[in-house]
Amino acid sequence: MTNKIIINVGRQLGSGGHDIGRMLALDFNAKYYDRELLNLAAKESGFSEKIFEQNDERKGFFRGLLNVQTPHLSGGSLYKSNFSQESLFQFQSDAIRKAAEEGSCVFVGRCADYILRDYPNVVNIFITASMKYRIQQIMNKQHIEAVAAKKFIEQGEAKRAAYYNYYTGKKWGHASSYDLCVDSSVLGLMETEKLIATFIRKRFDL
Amino acid sequence: MADNRQAALALGTKPVGQLLWQYALPAIVAMTASSLYNIIDRAMIGQVVGPEAIAGLGITFPFMNLSAAFGAAVGVGSSTCISVKLGQKDYKTAEHLLGNTVTLNLIIGFLFMAISLLFLDPILRFFGASNVTLPYAREFMIVILLGNMITHMYFGMNAVLRAAGKPKHAMYSVLFTVGMNILLVVTFVWWFRWGIRGAALATVTSQSMALCWQLWLFSDKKELLHLKRGIYKLKSNLVRNIIAIGISPFLMNATSCVIVIFMNNQFVRYGGDMAVGAYSIANSVVMVFFMFVIGITQGMQPIVGYNYGAEKYDRMLRCLWLAIACATVILLVGWSLSMLFPRQIARIFTTDPTLLELSARGIKIDMLVFFVVGSQATITNFFQSIGKVKVSIFLSLSRQLFLLLPMAYVFPMWWDLDGVWYSMPVSDFGSFAMTIPMLLWYMKKFKKNDE
Repeated sequence: MTNKIIINVGRQLGSGGHDIGRMLALDFNAKYYDRELLNLAAKESGFSEKIFEQNDERKGFFRGLLNVQTPHLSGGSLYKSNFSQESLFQFQSDAIRKAAEEGSCVFVGRCADYILRDYPNVVNIFITASMKYRIQQIMNKQHIEAVAAKKFIEQGEAKRAAYYNYYTGKKWGHASSYDLCVDSSVLGLMETEKLIATFIRKRFDL
Repeated sequence: MADNRQAALALGTKPVGQLLWQYALPAIVAMTASSLYNIIDRAMIGQVVGPEAIAGLGITFPFMNLSAAFGAAVGVGSSTCISVKLGQKDYKTAEHLLGNTVTLNLIIGFLFMAISLLFLDPILRFFGASNVTLPYAREFMIVILLGNMITHMYFGMNAVLRAAGKPKHAMYSVLFTVGMNILLVVTFVWWFRWGIRGAALATVTSQSMALCWQLWLFSDKKELLHLKRGIYKLKSNLVRNIIAIGISPFLMNATSCVIVIFMNNQFVRYGGDMAVGAYSIANSVVMVFFMFVIGITQGMQPIVGYNYGAEKYDRMLRCLWLAIACATVILLVGWSLSMLFPRQIARIFTTDPTLLELSARGIKIDMLVFFVVGSQATITNFFQSIGKVKVSIFLSLSRQLFLLLPMAYVFPMWWDLDGVWYSMPVSDFGSFAMTIPMLLWYMKKFKKNDE
């Protein structure tokens, strides 16, 4: 089909970006990719899915050492490590491109907006929500206290931001990287999704 | 990309022995070349300039490593970032990374040079130089430090070459530097009699020649990644990424510098300048054989890594055992040579009877349990290959920081100079004894996973 569209959804933790992404996929008859990408990346690389799960949207301090040979000074290793986060990211982005070639899709997170930046039919959305709303969401989903939920959000987002900023060179959640940023706690998930869908229809003249 | 996938596929199907041979051979050649250079450098200085000079050279060793550690930090950081950007076809950022690498290397290289030259004597004193060895160490380091920016650039560009998909060119430039260095060292030191300064000059000259070639490669406008105007201005987010990656290898390298500084000081304290010279000689001998092992472990890395990822644990373990066996056999050869002919080996570096005596005894003690080092190094690298970086760091630091350092401090209180020497085989054996249970514990986990 010629008029395939790609929707990238970035999201704050607990903002409901996941659910909105799913609804959008239904609306536009597109394939939905969130954690599914890990599976695709695994197939792409021949590695097991577990490896990708361990490194999902994460960037560790010591992992930098995977790029060097420990006991040897200055020379560096002759071969690239398949396990450096960088090469896992490469496999994942190959998987994302492959999926984008096949038809309309919705990607949630994983720097898809950067990876697909040269594709023509792309729209980049970022979903935020008030802290209060997000804490409530996380409390309901994970059955934890408000304090723990807040901590969970802050730590999770620090990781997500580090991951995004490192690979894309842009700032995660910064309005200039996206076509539309919207607070889902104002209208609620359903209405927000409708709003975004309208925006996308106008964008692609559907 | 298709090429890459095919190579990866072969890692999961071809016979393990064949793969190990194929991947380890180039690494072994590169490693051996650099240890050969090291030997010839020291032999020239020891034979022509004298035993005090080789002690002076030993003092400067950690100094040079520290400089290399800075170079490697930038090199590893930027090459990793560049290969990410190239993978994303983000050529503009990759070019800025290249330019920033050049600037960063120049800045760090200059600062390191300026600060070191300003405080050269106190630093060398701190590293263990005496009134006798200080002049040699100073003479050598002044030349090396003046060429420091070149050295940093050379290491940095080499790392970038590798990232830019030209690993062969990177290897050629290493081999060229080594070959040129040997040629120049012989000319300057043996023929022209320029003394220890000649050796330093040989190093800097051969690196600058290689650097010229690297810069020529990078100035080719047809290349995707080339030097041009407007890419040299430092960008804070790029620099931050480079340093974030470079910092952990830097810390590892810096740690090993600290260890050598400490060992040198212990040798000076209990055995005088000649003991430092003997330590430097023994180290060279160890390195020749150990470089083989590093070559093998480098070759093992992609094979083990792939098969771990693909959950082909039996192939992974077969490769590990094979690598351990090869490493151990090579070290057994080195061990028997050192035990049988320590004098003849030391004779390569010096004719001085005192230094000869000390070195021969030192080699014999230092390499007492040399054959266990092979499995220790291979297993440490194995953990790195399968992404268990923290285990790998723990194992390699355990030998140096937790075993060698305290032992080298305590042993000489009872056994004097011999105590310093004995701290090395004892910590070798200690870390071997720690590594084996760690591996067995992980193997149990793999077996469970298989079922």
